[in-house]
Amino acid sequence: MRKLGLTAALAATVALGACVQTKQYADVQFTPPEGDYKLLVLRPDVTVGSLTTGGMVEPRAEWTDEARANIIAALRAQQAGRGGNVTIIEHRNELPGVPEQELADVERLNFVVDESIVDAKYLGNYLPTKRGRGLDWTLGADAVKLGQQSGYDYALFLHAEDQVASGGRVALGLLGFAGCFIGFCAPNIGGAEQLDYASLVDLKTGKVVWFNVVDAASQVPGIKFGDLRTPQGAAQMVERLLGRMKPGQDVGRRQAIR
Amino acid sequence: MCARCLELTRRSLLVGGGVAAAALHTGIADARIRPQDMVPLVGPGFKPTDVDEQGLWHDMARVEEEIADSNLLIQDPKITSYLRDLIGTVGGPAAKDFRIYLMRIPDFNAVMFPTGFAVVFSGLLLRMRNEAQLAGVIAHESGHFLRRHEIRSWRDQRRKTDLFSIGAMLAGLGGAGAGVYLGDYVQLAQLGTILSLFKYSREMEAEADAMGVKLIAQAGYDPMEMSTVWQQLIGEEQASAVYRGKHRHHGSLFDTHPSDDARMADLKADALELKVPGKLYNDYRDRYLATIGPIRPMLLDDQVKLNDPGASEYLIETLAQDGWNGLLRFYEGEVWRLRNRLAFNDEARAAQSYAAAVVYPDAPADAWRWHGIFLLKQGRTAEAKAALSKYLTMKPDAPDAPWVRQTIG
Repeated sequence: MRKLGLTAALAATVALGACVQTKQYADVQFTPPEGDYKLLVLRPDVTVGSLTTGGMVEPRAEWTDEARANIIAALRAQQAGRGGNVTIIEHRNELPGVPEQELADVERLNFVVDESIVDAKYLGNYLPTKRGRGLDWTLGADAVKLGQQSGYDYALFLHAEDQVASGGRVALGLLGFAGCFIGFCAPNIGGAEQLDYASLVDLKTGKVVWFNVVDAASQVPGIKFGDLRTPQGAAQMVERLLGRMKPGQDVGRRQAIR
Repeated sequence: MCARCLELTRRSLLVGGGVAAAALHTGIADARIRPQDMVPLVGPGFKPTDVDEQGLWHDMARVEEEIADSNLLIQDPKITSYLRDLIGTVGGPAAKDFRIYLMRIPDFNAVMFPTGFAVVFSGLLLRMRNEAQLAGVIAHESGHFLRRHEIRSWRDQRRKTDLFSIGAMLAGLGGAGAGVYLGDYVQLAQLGTILSLFKYSREMEAEADAMGVKLIAQAGYDPMEMSTVWQQLIGEEQASAVYRGKHRHHGSLFDTHPSDDARMADLKADALELKVPGKLYNDYRDRYLATIGPIRPMLLDDQVKLNDPGASEYLIETLAQDGWNGLLRFYEGEVWRLRNRLAFNDEARAAQSYAAAVVYPDAPADAWRWHGIFLLKQGRTAEAKAALSKYLTMKPDAPDAPWVRQTIG
């Protein structure tokens, strides 16, 4: 199961119609932060769009704003439960003591590192040298410097995108379903899909200590697996993405022995 | 019987596809769009009111933030304010709303984003010979915004993919009901949809050209300069292709832009309509060169290091049509030196260029350095030492200064 990539896993679920997938990785020495820690959330990247009849995603300003506000509220509530002290910044000039350009550099670096993690851990391009080493990526000195300048223990990067099937898309799916009765069965044309990922960086070491992806996709338009525009949907997404943070394999093993 | 009429052979598909393609490619689709038909569709301070356009603008805010913080940005205040003034001159009714960013990318390009910010590539500043030419390209980009191309293209794509999906579903259902297979028709329709999206994109580009040429004529620049830009680009691509033993791209059905040749021809026809007979146009070359002067060595350096000697040679020679100088001669030498082909006798050509460069008062320090090194190779030690000490005087803290000092003793 560990070897089953995200795409492969997704492909396998097509027949089922829809599914929620989540797969997290952690540094072998990772212990989920608890107690009195300071967490910095950098510019959460949220977009919500409408899935057109033809299958394109049309971004919606109002939905995106609603979803972002809901996610931020859910994130604050969830982190407060763990004892964390959270700051969420929306713009690069909101972090005292850190020049905008340096923050931009860390964000850009994180973006390419995340891409590399997705490629090696989720899309099946496994790196033999990283076998059995958990999540073994780092942002290096830049992230440590950010921690020293800002005084935060961790940085969280969060991406969430949600597409809502439009009326036209649902109607097209229904037409495809109706076709099943005359021998042309195509209800699974693809519907709502939510894709979220997050990475946690330890600002003391610069290492990416934890990474998670949630994919909640429905092949049949009209069936939903969470809607970020509602507070419940956003809370559910934060819970799926961040709520079940597991320790790294070495830490897990030690805990099991005890 | 009718099931048989619907049967498609491979040949009929090819013929049908060919006819559809030809119909899309020729005839009315490629008719020139006349500048006088191009009126701006937005006024000053435009803000979207439709839900789809608002979504697009919302997404773009983050993109602009990313570009404004990019480490590729050239932030020379003199050049950036010059570009701002220029888009303010040729920006039509939205002149005051535009933002313009200069990025260090050695390529001929500029991009307008749907919310009214433009990105100009540094390679564009290298290629433009005067302010009028640069104004032409910027006016073309303004044209995209003034004609609301991004949202119109998006709506066109949405409409066509909607129609195609519904059509494909109905073909599947109808085919199943009638007991025939219509998959081949669906594929043909898909190709048609894709081709028509590319054609729409080319139409938008043609509109932006026509709008742009009108804007620069209104601002008092010679409208003919825009077609000259394309003439230069065609020459550059030709030279690059010839050197690499390839053919220049002449345009296809899958292009997002009309072919360079078509654009040049249309822009020339547009300019003839707009040119005021007897008027003397100022191209503001001096003002342009004075502004980009401080970064011109960097622009030339980036170009030469692209390892595209055909294009680099053409570019330098084109710029030199306005007069040779030490900087251009030096980079001409760099093209030969870096190409280093025995068959073309590149070493000797490079040496000649450096020798020619140092005759001009504006020769960069590195021209003296390479001139000295080539003199050394030729055994002309005394002259070499003189050239190298000139290099040291101009650049006392050069990274190779200790070596040079040792060499000249």
